[in-house]
Amino acid sequence: MRESLYGKGMQHLRVAFVQHPVAYRPSEECRQKLLGKDPVTGRQVLQEIVDHLTLSLNEDESKTGNIERPRQRILGTDTEENFQELFRNNGWTLYLPIIVPTEERVEAMLKGTSRKPDEKVAEMAPSSPHEKWSYNVEQVAVNAVIAGAKPEYFPVILAVASMGHTALFTSTNSFTAMVCVNGPIRNEIKMNMSIGTFGPFNHANASIGAAWSLVSKNLGGRVTPGLNYMGSQGQGHNFTNLCFGEREERLPEGWKPFHVLKGYKPEESVVSVFHGWNWSNMGGFESWKDQTIRIFFEDNFQCCGASIVMDPLVAMMLHDDLGYKTKEEFHQWLKENVKYDQKQYWGFPGQFPEGGHPEELARAKAGEEPYASWLKLPEGVKIPITRELDVNIMVAGGETNPYWQAGSLGLLGTASVDEWR
Amino acid sequence: MVEKTVTVLSPLGTLPPLQLQPMSPRLDTLDGKTIYIVDAKFPASEQFGEELVNLLKENYPKTNFVYRQKAGSYFADDPQLWAEIKEKGDGMIQYVGH
Repeated sequence: MRESLYGKGMQHLRVAFVQHPVAYRPSEECRQKLLGKDPVTGRQVLQEIVDHLTLSLNEDESKTGNIERPRQRILGTDTEENFQELFRNNGWTLYLPIIVPTEERVEAMLKGTSRKPDEKVAEMAPSSPHEKWSYNVEQVAVNAVIAGAKPEYFPVILAVASMGHTALFTSTNSFTAMVCVNGPIRNEIKMNMSIGTFGPFNHANASIGAAWSLVSKNLGGRVTPGLNYMGSQGQGHNFTNLCFGEREERLPEGWKPFHVLKGYKPEESVVSVFHGWNWSNMGGFESWKDQTIRIFFEDNFQCCGASIVMDPLVAMMLHDDLGYKTKEEFHQWLKENVKYDQKQYWGFPGQFPEGGHPEELARAKAGEEPYASWLKLPEGVKIPITRELDVNIMVAGGETNPYWQAGSLGLLGTASVDEWR
Repeated sequence: MVEKTVTVLSPLGTLPPLQLQPMSPRLDTLDGKTIYIVDAKFPASEQFGEELVNLLKENYPKTNFVYRQKAGSYFADDPQLWAEIKEKGDGMIQYVGH
């Protein structure tokens, strides 16, 4: 919170902290927490709140004006070993050894694009309340070097950075993130789309994914746990961010690549980025429909959206055995058949007394459709959820068995890679 | 043997200039004043706000405490409410439940 306030020029705003959690907690517990101590200051919360309203302002709290924060382009000259330590100690790495971004290495990275080094790429923040930092092509190149990327990967990294979406979204939930690359660039840079797609088996997949986290960390607000990253447990996926290429060559006949469904031409190279809460690994086999229904309902619509990356064998089963001639047809089946358990949707008595979807519950009670009708459904009848049912369907994997991975990852954006060559 | 040195670029982004926002003058007393208590609308934290209002009313009976829920979710702005508080309020406490 302090970090967010600082960026808005309100670093002295008076704040009292209450021991978490207070959401979903009974009134008496809330009362006791207000009468208890602020865990940061040790003072009684209620008295602190009143003092914040009535105690005179000090000099700092009354200041006005602008503060310039110039950037130092060159860090200095030293040994690589000392720079490894400096970067690690400042949190400018993923806490693995890095390629130190010397002038020569950054210059070599810049040869991967025709864009000028000082051209602005975008702005980024850890979340919408935080201040946005800006960055140019050279600044992205520095982080691409740190990630160990090759210059030929740089247009993909620039395209990711151009969207201004952080891979390290700050919430008390620990968000995961994903990168899908489509078009000719996948083969040009030899991305892995086959066996071990999401695993540590490919330089392009790994370094492009890692570069997104480094860009997010260093260019998108100097992301630091406790200041502007609040994920309670953190997210292991953020080391390389589920970076993969769609295996377009093994799509069933009639199934379009993801970027084509988003309006691009097949011959264009495109990158798409996603984020959300959870990501699961599941098997196909006989009960895949039931499993899909359960997974999509119980896990995937709690936040952000839904994505599925299926092995080509699953896509073949859907196409050949079950008759889904396009991705859109399977998407439509999901829209028509995915239903939500009432208790799951409205909440668990005693655990979430206000409901699992409190805003929708309030709308239902106010008579707003379709929520009002859903609230009147007989016990045992599932809710025909259709809201925001946009499922991103992609195909990748090595066809060793019909597995798929899926989760609550919503599409953040899609960008042309060719524009950054 | 002299160890080889390198010149290295900063990995950090460019920070925008800060425009300092001074805080409003404080109140000499809460008596006779109108204080808004605003729920930022994190889900299921209304009961926290209600208890805050109850405790303040018990301890400051001469103060007019007005409880309001901000429009939209906790990500949404509510300029109409801020305008109302500027016009009718003497102070504001905003809470973010979690």
